[in-house]
Amino acid sequence: MRTSQSVGQQQAVNMAGIGFRRWAQAVAKGKGPGISAILSGSRAASGTSKGSLPGPYPTTDKEREAAAKKYNIRLADYEPYPDNGEGFGDYPKLPDKSQHERDPWYQWDHPDLRRNWGEPMHWNFDMFIRNRVDTSPSPVDWPTMRKQLLGFIGFMLFMFYLGEIFPAYQPVAPKQYPFDNLYLEKGGDPEKQPEEVKNYKI
Amino acid sequence: MADYREAPLASRPKTLDPNEYFNVSLDQRRAEEDRAALRANLKRQYQMQLNNPHRKELIEDPALTRWVYARANPYSNFRPTFKTSLLGAFFGVVPLFVLYYLFKTDRDRKEEQIKAGTLNRKYSLLT
Repeated sequence: MRTSQSVGQQQAVNMAGIGFRRWAQAVAKGKGPGISAILSGSRAASGTSKGSLPGPYPTTDKEREAAAKKYNIRLADYEPYPDNGEGFGDYPKLPDKSQHERDPWYQWDHPDLRRNWGEPMHWNFDMFIRNRVDTSPSPVDWPTMRKQLLGFIGFMLFMFYLGEIFPAYQPVAPKQYPFDNLYLEKGGDPEKQPEEVKNYKI
Repeated sequence: MADYREAPLASRPKTLDPNEYFNVSLDQRRAEEDRAALRANLKRQYQMQLNNPHRKELIEDPALTRWVYARANPYSNFRPTFKTSLLGAFFGVVPLFVLYYLFKTDRDRKEEQIKAGTLNRKYSLLT
C-alpha cells in the first residue's frame, strides 16, 4: 500500500501521459478545426461541399433534380437559362423582379437587401438592389407615359424651331449718334470737313 | 386601369394580377406549401446558426457563394456560337479598328490645318 502522496504523484504523471495521448489521438482523428484537419487528411462536412457550387447545364432529368435541390428550388420551379454558350451553366432563371417589389414589412433575414438567408439569388441581383434598378409597377403603363413625355418634348422642340424662323420681338435699330456720328470725338481730323451724316428722314 | 400593360421595368401590380384571384386549385396550393416548406427549412437553419451561443465565426451563405462563383466563372460554360462570336467581335474587335480610324483621320485633318495655318485656335478652358 503506497502512501497517498506518492500515489498522488504517480497519478499526476499518469494523468499527464494519458492527457497527452488523448490529445494526440484527437488531433490525428481530425474532428476539430485547424491543424487537426491538415494532419489527418479528413475534414468536417459542415463547410462547402463539392457538389454545392454551380455546374454545367443539366441535360438529364437526374441532373435537373440534383440542381433544383442544390439551389433550394422546387423541381417544377427550376428553369435553367437556355444553353446557348453564354456562360450561365445550370444557374436558375428567376423572375426579373427587383428588390423594391418585395414586402417591406416582412421580417427578412437581411432587411436592407430584402432577402432571406439561403434564398437563391437572381443572376443580376446586384442590379436589382434597392439603390439601383426598380421594376415596381408604374402608376400608368409605360406606352402611355412614353407617349406623353415624347409628345411634350416634341411639341416644345417644334415650337422653339418655329420661334427661330419667325422671331417676334420689339423693333430695334442701331444707335444713332449726333455731330456726324461723333466725328470729332472718334478722333477725326478737326481741319477736314466730315461728310454729312443724316440719321433721320422727315 | 384595366388596360395596364407590363413593360420590362414595370411589373404588374398585385391587385391587377389574375394569379391572385384564379390560382386557387389544389395543385397551386400544394405548390405554395412546398415553397413555404423550403423557405421554412432555410429560415430554421439560419436561426439555429444565428442563435447558437458557441458560434464564433460568421454565418456562411451557400446561396451567396454559388452566386459569386457563377458570376465569376462564366468562361467554364462558354461555347463559341454565332451569337457569342458576333458579340465578341462587335465589342472587342470592331471598336479597335473604328476608333483607330476615327482618331487618325481627325488628327490628320487637324495637322493639315495647323500646317496650312487655318486652324482657329481660340483660347478656351474646355477644349
